[in-house]
Amino acid sequence: MTFLETTLLVIAIYITLVLVRVILGPTIWDRLLGLNAISAKIIMSIVILALITNQSYLLDVALVYALLGFISTVLIARFIEKKGDIT
Amino acid sequence: MIDLLAYLLITVALLFMALGVIGLFRFNDFYSRILISSKIETVGFLTIMIGLIVLSGLTYATMKIFLITLLVMVTNPLSTHAIARSAFLSGYTINQETRR
Repeated sequence: MTFLETTLLVIAIYITLVLVRVILGPTIWDRLLGLNAISAKIIMSIVILALITNQSYLLDVALVYALLGFISTVLIARFIEKKGDIT
Repeated sequence: MIDLLAYLLITVALLFMALGVIGLFRFNDFYSRILISSKIETVGFLTIMIGLIVLSGLTYATMKIFLITLLVMVTNPLSTHAIARSAFLSGYTINQETRR
């Protein structure tokens, strides 16, 4: 097992622990925070996977995932803030 | 030698992220949790990406990793701010009894 594969395994363990916070989270904003943290960790794992397998098109996937994660987090936060009234 | 530096940077980033995950369970109100999570996540992301840039050398893929780093460095604090603003404007207050 190389160093980068061990890193990938540790990030997977972190994602599982944050998922526990998402499930337990008392308020909806805790769950949103967990979504944000999991999205950042998934971007890291995609970049490490691209370096392990030497396929640079996976970096484009990571770029699109970063943009979609940002847009979804901001949209859900504003949806809760306006109590379902988006205009 | 340069690989050793990259491994050191990635290990430091994993330690930062471990602190962030511990902080997510250690504090028991939302504003403390969002504070520790946002700071530690951004720093851990920057450190691990710099480590991967050092590891992969100067290639075409390095520019893309740099672009992703730049993008997340701007958008991660913005999305955390959006969550905290949403909680504050919706009237979330800290429960004084369970505060530590």
